[in-house]
Amino acid sequence: MTIRLHDDSALPRRIVASFFLLAFLGNSHASDNIPPPPQAKPIVLKGATIHPVSGPDIPSGMIVFDKGKITAIGPNIPTPEGAEVIDASGKHIYPGLISANSVLGLTEIGAARATVDIEESGSINPNVRAATSINPDSELIPVARSNGILTAQAVPEGGILSGQSAVLRMDGWTPDEMTVRSPAAMHLRWPNLTINRNPRAQKSVKDQQKDMDKAQKLIRDSFQTARSYWQARKSGIHGFKSDLRWEALMPVFDGALPLFVHADTVAEIEAALAWAKDAQLKIVLVGGHDAWRMTTQLKESDTPVIIALSTALPSRRDDSYDSSFSDAARLHEAGVRFCIATNGRESGAPHERNLPYEASMASAFGLPKEEALKSVTLYPAQLLGVGDQLGSLEVGKAATLIVTNGDPLDFPTQIEAAYIDGRKIDLTNRQTRLRDKYKEKYRRK
Amino acid sequence: MRFSSCSARLLCFGCLTLLLSAVTSPAQVTTAPKQGIRENDPRLHALTNARIVVAPGKTIEKGTVLIRDGVIVEAGPAVKIPAEARVWDLTGKTVYPGFIDAYSRLGLPETLQPEPVRPDVDYDDPNAKPKEVPRESAKGMHSWNAKVTPERKAADYLNLDKKSMRKLRDLGFTSALVVPGRGIFRGSSALIDLQETDVATMVLVPSVAQHIAFDFNRRDDGGYPTSLMGCIALIRQGFLDASWYQAAQDAYHKNPGTMERPETNASLAALADQTQRKQPMVFEADDELELLRALRISDEFKLKPLLYGNGYEYRVRKALAATKTPIILPLDFPKPPEIERPEQALEYELDELQHWDRAPSNPARLTEAGIPIAFTAEKLEKPEKEFWSRLRLAVRRGLSKDAALAALTTTPAEMFGVADRLGTIAPGRVANLVIANGDLFSSEAKVLTTWVDGYYYDTDSAGERDPRGTWEITSEGKTLPLIVEGELDKLDTKLGGEKATLSTKEDAILLIAPAKLFEKGDGSVRLSGRIAGEAISGSGETPAGTIIRWSAKRTAVYTPKKPDEKPSPLDKPLDFPETYPAGSFGRAMPPEQPHSVLIQGATIWTSGAQGTIQNGDLLVIDGKIAAVGPGLKVPAGGSVIDGKGVHVTPGIVDCHSHTAISKGVNEGSHAVTCEVRIGDVIDATDIDIYRELAGGVTAANILHGSANPIGGQNQVIKFRWGALPEEMKFADAMPGVKFALGENVKQSNWGDKFKTRYPQTRMGVEQLIRDRFRAALEYDAAQKKKDGLPPRRDLQLETLLEILNGKRLIHCHSYRQDEVLMLLRVATEFKIKIGTLQHILEGYKIADEIAKHGAGGSTFADWWAYKWEAFDAIPDNAAMMQSRGVLTSVNSDSADLARRLNTEAGKSMKYAGMSADEALKLVTIYPARQLHIEAKTGSLEPGKEADFVVWSGNPLSNYTYVKQTWIDGRKYFDRAEDMEARKTFAAQREALIQKALPERLKELGAAGGKEGDWKDKKPEDKDAKPTAHPQHRADERGSLYGNGNNRDNCTEEYDD
Repeated sequence: MTIRLHDDSALPRRIVASFFLLAFLGNSHASDNIPPPPQAKPIVLKGATIHPVSGPDIPSGMIVFDKGKITAIGPNIPTPEGAEVIDASGKHIYPGLISANSVLGLTEIGAARATVDIEESGSINPNVRAATSINPDSELIPVARSNGILTAQAVPEGGILSGQSAVLRMDGWTPDEMTVRSPAAMHLRWPNLTINRNPRAQKSVKDQQKDMDKAQKLIRDSFQTARSYWQARKSGIHGFKSDLRWEALMPVFDGALPLFVHADTVAEIEAALAWAKDAQLKIVLVGGHDAWRMTTQLKESDTPVIIALSTALPSRRDDSYDSSFSDAARLHEAGVRFCIATNGRESGAPHERNLPYEASMASAFGLPKEEALKSVTLYPAQLLGVGDQLGSLEVGKAATLIVTNGDPLDFPTQIEAAYIDGRKIDLTNRQTRLRDKYKEKYRRK
Repeated sequence: MRFSSCSARLLCFGCLTLLLSAVTSPAQVTTAPKQGIRENDPRLHALTNARIVVAPGKTIEKGTVLIRDGVIVEAGPAVKIPAEARVWDLTGKTVYPGFIDAYSRLGLPETLQPEPVRPDVDYDDPNAKPKEVPRESAKGMHSWNAKVTPERKAADYLNLDKKSMRKLRDLGFTSALVVPGRGIFRGSSALIDLQETDVATMVLVPSVAQHIAFDFNRRDDGGYPTSLMGCIALIRQGFLDASWYQAAQDAYHKNPGTMERPETNASLAALADQTQRKQPMVFEADDELELLRALRISDEFKLKPLLYGNGYEYRVRKALAATKTPIILPLDFPKPPEIERPEQALEYELDELQHWDRAPSNPARLTEAGIPIAFTAEKLEKPEKEFWSRLRLAVRRGLSKDAALAALTTTPAEMFGVADRLGTIAPGRVANLVIANGDLFSSEAKVLTTWVDGYYYDTDSAGERDPRGTWEITSEGKTLPLIVEGELDKLDTKLGGEKATLSTKEDAILLIAPAKLFEKGDGSVRLSGRIAGEAISGSGETPAGTIIRWSAKRTAVYTPKKPDEKPSPLDKPLDFPETYPAGSFGRAMPPEQPHSVLIQGATIWTSGAQGTIQNGDLLVIDGKIAAVGPGLKVPAGGSVIDGKGVHVTPGIVDCHSHTAISKGVNEGSHAVTCEVRIGDVIDATDIDIYRELAGGVTAANILHGSANPIGGQNQVIKFRWGALPEEMKFADAMPGVKFALGENVKQSNWGDKFKTRYPQTRMGVEQLIRDRFRAALEYDAAQKKKDGLPPRRDLQLETLLEILNGKRLIHCHSYRQDEVLMLLRVATEFKIKIGTLQHILEGYKIADEIAKHGAGGSTFADWWAYKWEAFDAIPDNAAMMQSRGVLTSVNSDSADLARRLNTEAGKSMKYAGMSADEALKLVTIYPARQLHIEAKTGSLEPGKEADFVVWSGNPLSNYTYVKQTWIDGRKYFDRAEDMEARKTFAAQREALIQKALPERLKELGAAGGKEGDWKDKKPEDKDAKPTAHPQHRADERGSLYGNGNNRDNCTEEYDD
């Protein structure tokens, strides 16, 4: 069902909107933002302060992009023939922000089960792929991108091996069109290793310990089995029976698919690092509430950290009140590679637009401002394996950028325009349409 | 006969049992018909030559106690012993009054024992179901609520087995209070003497006290109440109902023809009877704040309270000292924390480590504070090992021996109203005595015998003879020296310089020695004999089979080597200041209130008529704002804060918070629960209070959840971190009640078990609310009626009536415009004005209607799409409502968001172009107005309480942090001080870990080696029954001292 909603008269909009609401109750819905066509001619944005992130700011600079890629950038560069020149004087241009840990596209409304596709049953699901169930018409996507989030990694949740993530551009008619990189990473969730000593806990300490041992054994067994499978496949043994799960782990052993390990406490991170060393796998740590306590180990093993939710409450009573806010600063000081992301949980999906504020909060608690900006642009691009295409404004990279009237990490900065691969995208969303609809109600009074 | 000292003990046990059955025939007066030959043993005993502790602080160094027919006749240094008395020579022994176990489950059936804290499931079996817990089904004329069973009497259920009675007696207890163990109004306890006879004879007092516990169902489908506040509401209504019941019965029986017959209810009758007779009410408190809650209830209903404590009393002893309510104390000091692995140690918070260190001092601290205490062996896993060792530890921690004795004798006797019969050794008292071989409180002395009602019961130690010392053995004309040393259960024996084996069983002695000593060849001689005082005589057998005679005489007594007198580190807690709450970031005392403070040259956002003043001053005098403006002068002696570069705003007011709630944000069982009060369950220990202070919050509207259309009463508090709950309450804040509409109350997302409670639709929500308001009006009319049955006070309807009378605000959780319009209509129908619409995410759709009604709107900055009814939320909502004339605020509904409400407010600037001043007001003066506290807080204007925040920069920027937060002119948060406090608390933590480590290693029984061996020795093996320690994190209902993460927020099913 395609609904055109770019009609300026209020009446048809309302009719369509109510029709749309009815349609929503069925099994399909669609956001009303229409993907723009591919970039047809060169575009020049001039006069703005350009923040390449990878290099120094260019005051009153120019950026040129064509066929979706940045072709030139600098204080004063020639305008290509036939280019559309846009005066952006007084504005700021940044690379699009990147959400490194989300379930965007996999969910709509947490409390409505029918709209949620984030977690497969069972605990070993390396074969499930986020890219296959991305809903390009999710209403959550235009809301996120209207605040500058132009790329996001969609990560399956649950179990131990949750599946394969995809890096998505926040625009496209189909999941394929949205996909920047898939699979982007294999996701392993380290079992919780914190014993709940509350006697009212569902399980006794002993039973909890048993569960933990079992789950960690399952990780070791799975990867050892998968490694045998990988070797058997490589050596071409006759009469080989396939197994989708171990098949999916082959690129991890080939070194082609990064392994992201979600772990939070010292015990979990220690266990994950030890296991990875033993299994000869390089990992990216996701979550890492306690990562700041273990910077030596992380540096030694060159393990980067995707800080998932730098605004979370401290996880322990004794932790300082700013323990999450200051995580990024502490990793930065210690020289551990990191980026800042949201918690990636279902409940966070509608609020991905707040990602830039997590970065500025980290800055309020010690992270240098320029690092805060990198932590939601260049660093996530690098950790997600798309650093060659995204994350900074450089010639040859995708023209995925935002035009703002100020610092995108602070209020009340507006994202005035956004380009994904050189295509200017519609920054309206379900919320702006609802706002406009009801503004009309009051205008008539 | 060969025996080791170990089997000797077993044998001994056998003898004793035989012995006991011989003396248990009662000679007391009974109504039971006599069978067979009567047994009328004379029952006159003289316990003489003993050291007699007749009462705490009163000792007769050598004297006699004379007992006749179970009653003490005389006790003194020179008692004339009648010839017919049986005389017990107790030279070297000490006699104490019999001890009273102030709390026990002795002899109660499983259905009156506490329910297991965790369902018993075999998790290895995927199909396993939890083992059924036997429960007594309510029959007859009971309360509507299964947890209300005041009519139950422990005495009616007693079925005592000798083994468990003996276990208690072996500790020295001669009486015990037996307490039923389930429910809220649990029933009455019985005081029994631990005599082995029929129950009727044992019971001293059949009904001592009513026992009330803060118990509730921990599952949502478990029935009312499912929260602590629900439990307290039920207790309160219970006392009201009991007194009404009495009045109603009286009125009806006086004039039965003129009124409707009231119900006949055994529960209410029992409670009414006990209240009238001023019987004590024992409140069982699981944590330190429940002690205070119990005292509040007692005060409200003028009860005679006693407390059953939990070991944490010392933390609130100042408050407890105000009433000096006696406390029954278990001695379950915590085990050493498992801190041997650093990553595991991280999971112990400082308050737990401190408690491990301080708990043994609890009895001493309470006694110092003048609070009467009584001990119980309850809650100990192994009382036979733990009771005396812990009691002695408490004594080493400063509890005087007299106080310890009083806690076992006179105090419980007074508490239970039997001081004229128990607790001391004096003429006329029941002949309950304890005989020990030394001072029980300061040595390793043992209880040898207990006397109960004039019958004696020996312990295993009674028959023990001490064979240690130097003896001279004579046999077959030879004389050899015998030296016996070591521990009683591990003797070290040498005969004639050769190693020998010696064991005793009561007075029987066995000596096995090399035969060559007696020149009887190879092999051993086996000498058995009897020990009588300082002499032994007997016979033996040589390897050749010849019988020989032998005898011995003690020539020197054994003097044990003095153990190292080095004081144990356990005898003293580490010397760190006590704070409230305990643990990290607690305060040793409230922050001082300087007479005057001037902040100079800051950007001052007044949220008032003066707007925002650049380079302005704020003057605070005596906790109130004295002036705001440029060029202010500080009075002499006042302090000045340089405000250069900083911004000052009013303290943030959070209009929707669930911080600081103990044990349940929702009473989610019933659809209408406005009798429950958040004010009853404020959790002053919630670390989120401190964290939110660090985000600039100074006051918050603590709301009940949204599980029901008409929820509980809210409580506005100030974040006076370090204070007790009552001290946090915002004085004179307008009371309110939480209402809720939509998905949560119709249980849309609760699962299949929840499809029957009314209402299940938004249509039903309207009808339910209307019906209850009608009921309240009719209730009002009925209260004023002069004839018929006396009116029953109904706290639920009273609350609703307060709403109808304009004395209480409604704070209504609401989303969709249709339901909001419904509520406004119903409110108008009943002539009331809604206080605030909470969440009100579709408020922008009907802002005019809301403004016209006059309700406030308290909303999220940008939350949406977490459930169906939140799908139309927009971040312009606050601004659009405000611009149409709705008094609007932005709230957190989350302990995390509450820490950055300033930037939540900033979002209205970003999304809706609101001015900075207006945006800040969304979290300052506007919520203050919504809560009717704007005369006191919410803006920086002269006369208001000095609640303000000092920011590092523009408060609406994400790059800004809080430097200081002040409440009442007191600085409750200071980032610089916090940085220092982190170090101090971390150092304390490490010191405690170092102290605990040797104890922990002792417990592990390991000096290293394979860790697998340690595991097996861990105390939490499967057999160890989990005891409900109250203060652990992650209780599903959020208990005290949480880590701040155990409460749900707005994205959860129904807590928003």
